Amino acid sequence: MADTRDIIRITEDTEDDFEQVVGGGGGDEGVRLVKESAKSRKGRGFESEQDRDDTMEFDAVGIDDGDTAGPQRSVEGWILFVRNLHEETTEDDLMDKFNEYGEVKSLHLNLNRRTGYIKGYALVEFEHYKEASTAQNKLNGADLNGQRMQVDWAFTRGPSGGGGGGRKSRRQRDTKPQQRSERSRSR
Amino acid sequence: MATKDSGADAFYLRYYIGHRGIFGHEFLEFEFRPDGKLRYANNSNYKNDTMIRKEAYVSPAVMAELRRIVTESEIMQEDDQQWPMPDRVGRQELEIVFNSEHISFTTSKIGSLAEITGTKDPDGLRTFYYLVQDLKCLVFSLIGLHFKIRPI
Repeated sequence: MADTRDIIRITEDTEDDFEQVVGGGGGDEGVRLVKESAKSRKGRGFESEQDRDDTMEFDAVGIDDGDTAGPQRSVEGWILFVRNLHEETTEDDLMDKFNEYGEVKSLHLNLNRRTGYIKGYALVEFEHYKEASTAQNKLNGADLNGQRMQVDWAFTRGPSGGGGGGRKSRRQRDTKPQQRSERSRSR
Repeated sequence: MATKDSGADAFYLRYYIGHRGIFGHEFLEFEFRPDGKLRYANNSNYKNDTMIRKEAYVSPAVMAELRRIVTESEIMQEDDQQWPMPDRVGRQELEIVFNSEHISFTTSKIGSLAEITGTKDPDGLRTFYYLVQDLKCLVFSLIGLHFKIRPI
């Protein structure tokens, strides 16, 4: 069975034309704008690019309810994202802090592969919203090993209230960003 | 927000690693879009024929950490001119828009640091190698925790 959609396309078109080729999916306009905003380009990737297929579905964790922007629940709980951790911070240090607000279900404290120290961020999961939001509130800015932790939600419902639930319909690609003011969400 | 895209906060990142072999097109790809949308795709046809495609919006805090990781790696100062070309064994692509710079690097798979030693630009490849490790580590944690899956 030939996998035709995966054929590498060598494009000699202009930058603009190439962007048309990539096409599809919500948010492409934003990606295109950001790429166009660059003033310098570097790398062999501009010579040959994969023709990516964006018409397939991506799974997303569903939006609970309402249109308001805010934290997004994960499959088994609520995930906090912790930054500005001292490089010698341990899992126990974080557990001591966060367990005060509820049982920590998961903790990822990832390492810097180059140095062996931690990278400086952590993901902390609570089962219940209340536990996570209280921990976020109380620990944001709190001291840990001489540095002030920054504690935020890891996931949101989307950039502008709602959104994020799987696939959006294909929009006209030549719409000017200025004209595309507030998207109205049909529910 | 959209009007700010041309300014100092423009950011986009995409990484791809894959090859075409007897099990078809096997690859891992993820991208962070300017609006915070993280897309993740992992296709392996070995034994079980599965394609995993996930997406989620990450918070501005996650995007800020991602910028920090990219900044500290100094990848934007590198160039892929001297790097091994993608080959039969596989292909890697790293595309980043950071402020006003846009890089799109391609190279072969790097199995280990030992493979880098004899190449023409070992320092650049090492920068690339460690950045990719750190990016994968972050993405696997995000996707793994959000969807409760174990990405390979």
